[in-house]
Order: sequence, then C-alpha cells, then structure tokens
Amino acid sequence: MSHARRNLSGGMVLGIPLLWIALFMLLPYGIIVTFSFWVKKYPTFVPAFQFGNYVTLFTDPQYVLVLLRTLKISVLVSVASLLLAYPFAYWLVFRCRSAKLRTWLYMAVIAPLWVSYLLRAYVWKTILGTEGVLNSFLKSIGLIDEPSSIFLYNQFAMVVTLTYIFIPFMVMPIYTALEKIPANLTEAAADLGMGPWRSFWTVTLPLSAPGIAAGATLTFCLSFGDFIAPFLVGGPDGNLIANVIATQFGAALNWPLGSALAIVMLVVVLTIVSLSDRMERKGATGGI
Amino acid sequence: MTRKILLGALGALALTTAAPALAEGTLNVLTWEGYADPSFISKFEEESGCKVNATYVGSNDDFAPKLMSGGGVYDLITPSIDTTKLMIDLDFVEPLDTAKISEWNNIYKKFRDLDGIQKDGEYYGMPYVWGAIAFMYRDDAFTTPPTSIADLWNPALKGKVALWDDKSSIYVAARLNGDMDIYNLTDEQIAAAQKKLLEQKPLIRKYWATAGELVDLYKAGEVVISNTWAGYQSGLLKAEGIKVTEFIPKEGAEGWMDSWMVVKGTPNKECAYKFLNMQLSPLGQCGVANINGYSVTNPVSAKACMTPEQYKDLHQDDPAYLDSLMVWQPLGDRFEAYTNAWNAVKAQ
Repeated sequence: MSHARRNLSGGMVLGIPLLWIALFMLLPYGIIVTFSFWVKKYPTFVPAFQFGNYVTLFTDPQYVLVLLRTLKISVLVSVASLLLAYPFAYWLVFRCRSAKLRTWLYMAVIAPLWVSYLLRAYVWKTILGTEGVLNSFLKSIGLIDEPSSIFLYNQFAMVVTLTYIFIPFMVMPIYTALEKIPANLTEAAADLGMGPWRSFWTVTLPLSAPGIAAGATLTFCLSFGDFIAPFLVGGPDGNLIANVIATQFGAALNWPLGSALAIVMLVVVLTIVSLSDRMERKGATGGI
Repeated sequence: MTRKILLGALGALALTTAAPALAEGTLNVLTWEGYADPSFISKFEEESGCKVNATYVGSNDDFAPKLMSGGGVYDLITPSIDTTKLMIDLDFVEPLDTAKISEWNNIYKKFRDLDGIQKDGEYYGMPYVWGAIAFMYRDDAFTTPPTSIADLWNPALKGKVALWDDKSSIYVAARLNGDMDIYNLTDEQIAAAQKKLLEQKPLIRKYWATAGELVDLYKAGEVVISNTWAGYQSGLLKAEGIKVTEFIPKEGAEGWMDSWMVVKGTPNKECAYKFLNMQLSPLGQCGVANINGYSVTNPVSAKACMTPEQYKDLHQDDPAYLDSLMVWQPLGDRFEAYTNAWNAVKAQ
C-alpha cells in the first residue's frame, strides 16, 4: 500500500513536469515541423509533404541575407556584453573591498530586469534620437554643431539597445563563476612566481570560461530571437530573422514558410547551445 | 493518421486554453482604435443594453491570425477593403441581412458596389469609413511644397523620408514608374517597383508601422515627408503644435475603406445589428469622424451631424474626390507576389 502510494507520488513529481514538457514544448515543435512541409495556397495553406519552403529559404537571397545579419548582430551583442561584463564582474569579485557596495552594484545590474523590456528599449529612442539626450549633450559641450542622425535607426542603435538589455545575463554567470574560484589558487600562482597577468591568463580566465560560455550563449540566443529592437530602434536595414517570421505568420499569411524559418532558427540556436555545453564541460574538467 | 493525431492534440490544446465564454448581450469587436470609442459607444450601451468590449488591431494583417487561432471570441470585425475578401474566402464572416440595416441604401453606391465585400450576390461587409493614403510634409522643411511622389525620392532629403511598412509601398513605387494599374501589376512591373524602392532605401529614416510611430517620427524631427492615413496622423500632429500639410500627389493616391463584418456563428445577432445600425447613424458616423478625422460612408447621417465646414473638409460633398482615389482592391493569388517583393526590399 505505502509502496503503491510512494510510486504514485513519485509518478506525479516526474509525471506532471514531463506532461507539461510534452504538451507545451514537444507538441508545439511537432506542429511547427509539420507546418514547415505544408504549402501556401490562397486563402491560407494546405497540408503537404514537400521541401519547397526550405528550398525557398536557401535560394531566395533575402532569407540568407537576413539570417547572416541576425548572426552578425547577435555576435556583436555577445562580444560587447562580454567586454563590458567581464571587467565589471572581475572587479566586483576580486577588487571591491566592501561587501555592501558589491551587493548594491550587483543589484544595480540585475534591477533593470524588473522593468518592462519594451520600456527599456523605448528609452533608447529618446537617448539616441536626433533631438535626443545624446545629441543635446554633444552639442552643449561643443563637440558637434548640428544634431546628428547617426545614432538612431540603424544597426549601431540595435547593438547598443540589445547589449544594454541583455547584459545582466552576461554579468550573472561570470560573477558566479569568478566567485567560485578559490582565492588560494591565485595565491599559489603568485607564490610560484607568476605575475598578475600570467596568473589571470592561466588560472582565473580558464576557470571562469564556463561562466563566459553560459553568458555568451544566453546573450546570443536572446538577441538572435529578438524582434522588438529592430522595430523600435532599427532602421530600414534592420530587419532580423524574427521580424521575417512574424511577417510570414501575419502579413504574408504563409505559416509554412514561417515555420520552416523557425526550424532553421531552432537548428542554429541548438547548435550554439550544444557547442557551448561542450565548452563548459571542457572548462569544468580540464581547467585545473 | 498523423494529421488526425495532430488535430486531436490541437483540440486538446484548445480545450485547455478555453476561450472566454461569449456572454449574450456582450459584443466583442476586433477593430481599429477610435471605431468603438467610449465617446459615443457608452451612449449606445445605455440605449441598447448591449455591452461592447473592444480589442484593437495595429494592422489589417492582424485579423486573419486572430480569427484563425480560434473562433468564438469576436462578434464583429472591421478589415479594410483589401482584406475583406480574404475574410469571406476564409469563411470567417457571414452574409449580412441588409434589410435589417435601415440606412443601407444611404451608403455611397460606389462603396456598396465594391467586389471586396460581396460574394455570390450577397453582402458581407457594411461600409463604414474611408479616406485617402495621402502624402504629408513638414511645413518648415520646404520652401516649394512637394507635389509628386518623386519628392520622396529626392536625394536632398536623405535620412528624412518615411514610408509605410506595408505592401502599399509597391503601389507607390509603381505609380512613380508610370504603372497606374496598381492592383493588377505584372511580375515585371512588381520587379521594377521593387528596384525603385531599393533606390529609395538610402534616403529612408524609418519604415513606419503604426500611426503613433509616424507621429513620433515627425515630432522628434526625424522625418519631414512620408505617406499617411489622411486626416489621422496630421490631426494628431496639429494637436501637438507641429505644422504639417497633407497633399495628393500628381500620380494620384490610394483610397481605403473599412467595413463592419459579422463573424460567422455569433450568438449575439440582435446586438450586432443594433450596433451596425448605430454605426451608420449620426451617433456612429460623427463619433468616428470626430475621433479619427476620417470621412464616413453615409452622407445623410454626416450631413445631419457635421458642421458645413467639417462636411466639406472630409470631402463628403465631393464625389469627384472620391472617384479620383484608387480604392484598394483584393489582390487574391497575386497577394504573395506583392508582399514578397516588399519583404525583399526590407531584407536588403
């Protein structure tokens, strides 16, 4: 009896999450995969099994172009986030003497996550605009005579906005990775005659690699799927892959092509995730 | 077999995410902002005893996906004349009993006769409001007022031009190329329009997607010339103290018209017809004209509730103006060629 009950509760603990995953993750993937083989036919689309949608994606240059642009923007966002987040996290963990200040600064980075994404993206419009904060500032210090339009509605504005929005996802894992490095390792390195730079390159950096990999993966994947920044601060050359998918599901009413695009996107993201996973594991075992 | 499983699974999903129950006497309308504005809808609610819940769309592309993802939510919709046919062909809407719409025969004949709202001799849409896709410029940016679509291709305005993010951009570029039959363009003509739009792209500051976005672009001094939904954004800008002028270019302008359509199988027929009648009456016609600045389809009601100036400003007395507009037409199976060309321009 008690054995049966234990089985039942055990089944529930595992069963409900599994059911959830099947119903809300695997099933939708299945539906998208199915749609991607269907075919567009006015007024909507009809069931079929053919690869026409995938062929279109790789033969019509507009899709490859947008895919490459999305990759470029995502890589730039990840790199910019890393360059900003790493020194900051490093300083917090190893150089900041006051524990209170450290907590405050860490919270300051995380706090924007509580503010609506839309609002944060929108604010960048008022900063970067032709009559925006940045232009007024540059004018007041005499650096420019006329307000410049080069800050907003282009890819630069998208990278800045996305970096700002996703940087907490880079700071958090790097901070955690650095925090876990025992202080005696760098001390030992110093005792053995290593300078601070060499000790950083050979001890600290490799040990924090899993944090970097996790942060880079998060920022890359989040930017890769973004479609608000192009809409708000992107210019005429700012279309990203998620915008094209939205167009196919909306304006073009071509769900099959949109689904095929979503599958291609999924494959790219899964490839990145598994690469980073491999890197993290390597970092975790081969580091010391 | 797999399809059966898929459909079954979809059904299960639909059950678990059950739509809000349709209460009798409550109308759920999927429409544009202003078309169910409290300024006149609350009076209707009082008089009719029917409650109105409005959900707003940002573009004509929103109607099909919203209705496709599950019926039984909305009672009434207001797609534009390039989308009404799609609603009929998708079997989302039902034929209207025009005998129950008392002012049906007062609607401009030109609108009642449009193919887009009919099928097999039955009417599916009740014309409601109309207007032009005019062009607009900031007064302080021009010494000689622009008169042509070519002014949006003027290199001197680099980075100061906005264009609507819609297949309508193909219509604009085609007219500039001299292809005036804009709703029946050949593949070559569409390709030429696409090329023309790519030439213009370096001059574009932003392809605008919503009315509010275009207003912001003018307000922030980002753009000085664009196309516009005549009457609407210019009205919002004037209220902000920004001087803009609308114009119909010498290449002509597109016209649009929105119709009320009854969603198939609505349990709220009685309220729906009360609502349709109200929208054609002075209450509804002036209600929307005052909020959105659009022209209306029932000149009899318009005359009764508008001042002579407003009646004239909205071209209600000017059949020639209406005739000069190239009223949107359903593109049918050519739709894909147009949207694909426009998407290719944006992808570059």
